[in-house]
Amino acid sequence: MITVKNVSHDFEIGKKGRATIIPVLRDINFSVNRGEILTIVGRSGSGKSTLLNLISGFIRPREGGIWINEEQVSKLNEAQFADFRIKNLGFIFQSFQLIPSMTAFQNIELPLIIKGMAEKERRDKTEEMLKKVGLSEYQDHYPGELSGGQQQRVSIARALIVNPPIILADEPTGSLDSETEEDLLTFIKQLNQDLGITFLIITHDDKVARIGHRTIELSDGRITEGELV
Amino acid sequence: MKLKDQFRFVRQNMKKNRTRVSMTILATAMGCAFLIVLSSVGFGFQKSIVKDITERQVVTAIDVHGKQSMKQGFTPVTDKDIEAFEKMKNVKAVTRRMMLQQNTKYYLKDHQIDTQTIVADFPSEMKAGFKLSSGHLPKKPDEIVVGYDFATNLASKNAKPEELYDKRGVLKDQYRYTGELVGQKVELPVKQNENGKQIEKVFTFTITGIGVKPTKKWLEDRNAYISNDRLKEIEAFTGTPKGMLKEQNNPEPPGPKVEGVVYDEVKVYATNMEAVKNIDQQLKDKNYETYSVLNELKEVNLVFLVVKAGLIFIGTIAILIASIGIYNTMTMAVTERAPDIGIMKAIGANPKTIKRIFLLESSYIGLIGALIGTVVSYIISYTVNLALPLIIKNAFGENAPSNFTFSDIPVSLPLICIVICYVVTIISGLRPAQRATRVDVLKAMRREM
Ligand SMILES: Nc1ncnc2c1ncn2[C@@H]1O[C@H](COP(=O)(O)OP(=O)(O)OP(=O)(O)O)[C@@H](O)[C@H]1O
Ligand SMILES: [Mg+2]
Repeated sequence: MITVKNVSHDFEIGKKGRATIIPVLRDINFSVNRGEILTIVGRSGSGKSTLLNLISGFIRPREGGIWINEEQVSKLNEAQFADFRIKNLGFIFQSFQLIPSMTAFQNIELPLIIKGMAEKERRDKTEEMLKKVGLSEYQDHYPGELSGGQQQRVSIARALIVNPPIILADEPTGSLDSETEEDLLTFIKQLNQDLGITFLIITHDDKVARIGHRTIELSDGRITEGELV
Repeated sequence: MKLKDQFRFVRQNMKKNRTRVSMTILATAMGCAFLIVLSSVGFGFQKSIVKDITERQVVTAIDVHGKQSMKQGFTPVTDKDIEAFEKMKNVKAVTRRMMLQQNTKYYLKDHQIDTQTIVADFPSEMKAGFKLSSGHLPKKPDEIVVGYDFATNLASKNAKPEELYDKRGVLKDQYRYTGELVGQKVELPVKQNENGKQIEKVFTFTITGIGVKPTKKWLEDRNAYISNDRLKEIEAFTGTPKGMLKEQNNPEPPGPKVEGVVYDEVKVYATNMEAVKNIDQQLKDKNYETYSVLNELKEVNLVFLVVKAGLIFIGTIAILIASIGIYNTMTMAVTERAPDIGIMKAIGANPKTIKRIFLLESSYIGLIGALIGTVVSYIISYTVNLALPLIIKNAFGENAPSNFTFSDIPVSLPLICIVICYVVTIISGLRPAQRATRVDVLKAMRREM
């Protein structure tokens, strides 16, 4: 489903001419199978987020290629990648990334608006999704009026609303206490089993890492443990 | 994303910064109002002047003065010329008038009037649009038609001349002739100098008709219209063409000798306005000297075209200044909303859509501003037209020219303004919108913007 081939990436910092190059990822190769939960672990600064950002299309790799659903996404331009994202990818972020001026309902509805769905259909879907994540009562609350766990559920609802085959999550439990973390992990497993959604989850938490069918460890920009492809 | 939803986003965004947005709209509206009001003065003056020109004269008429040729120099219009004019395409009528070359005074019982006597060809005059308010056209040589204001200027012979007129120069009511005019006899003494003596012969006419009131208030028609046959009788008495007076001691008629009839005023009437240009050109090609209101209008309109373009240009500067405000507002909007833009991009919003939303917002500001500006300028224009004559009267003690339009806003003017405003706002919104598409997703999500 996702294939990462010979990907290397580095960042340039400082002004042009006096720039220092920071190597982050070195020759990464792995793939995620359909219906699988893959977790990536590694120490802070090992390049996990960078790897996920490459797969998400927020940055482009210096070397190598990334395929999602047989499509070489690392070659898409910004606009094409945007269209690809709305159709195929759902995101769960550590810091939720909800739009503060929109209510829970509006935040969840947003991807459908971007997709261009008609208002009536959109409303029904959003209401259904709110029920599914147990936030029907809170639909008119703004993110600032919700707890961390509730906010994360809104962000999951927003990721799920377009029925994406793949969900990418960067430290999804990073801002949650252990009890809500437990709930979230159960929910992810359920989604994976019931809907067959493929998950790629980044974490430095062993508990989270354990829900993966497979786990890859990243260290100093290289895969040091887990199945190499 | 659906256009409807884009509009909703725009409205929501504008609501979030109501004060800033409304100030920008206000600045745009002021710019537009400035452009429209300023240019409306050009339009107003043009309208007034064109109205003035077309009211003075019939627009379908072409004055033909004579023929200018290398061989013969200037020659007046002859009967043969007129015959040719009448045969031209789209010519409705050719009127020809001569003035009796004396001061003529008509007497009706104990009233009298100083006026001009015009020798007219009645059939062509009627065709050209000369109308009677009562009576009929002369059938016999001793019949006469008088202008509408002939009666009101018939003054009593018995009053002292200095008492006749009031302050405005209008004949006082008590000295006016009040009786019936049609069917009355008037007498015209015609003078001539013969052998150092002045001789006089009285010609009697019967009034058969009265002309219609001139369409303009300030125009007065007190003329007497006689036929060519009667002129012949007068000429027989004076022995000079058109009843010209000889010099006291010179038996020869004054002026150069000319063959045939010399008309003082020949007008070619076209069947419609569109034909005027063509007929005028044909006459000019045949070396006739012509004048038509339409030609004058063309020149006036050309001058005003330049004036109006200049005014619109100056007005556009005001809109350009307002556009700086739009640029500013949009740049701030993009900066403020960068985190939201980043999130939307991360989810999968197309950069083009984001650009379109911001362009929509800036053009929304521009269009609302232009609309408000238009409404305001109509109010200003209306008020100015109403108030300026009063101000002129109070400040300078003089009457403003009546019927003068200071400011006129034809529909085209707001349309021009809206187009200019729209283009300017799109241009000033373009850079901020471009910036919005370049918002970096990762930076925005880290709230680094
Ligand atoms: N935009 C950037 N410019 C320069 N260097 C960067 C940039 N983003 C990341 N880095 C560097 O790349 C390295 C890897 O960063 P990354 O965020 O991928 O680590 P991580 O594994 O996600 O760490 P954590 O677990 O703390 O989130 C770090 O050393 C970081 O300094
Ligand atoms: Mg990270």
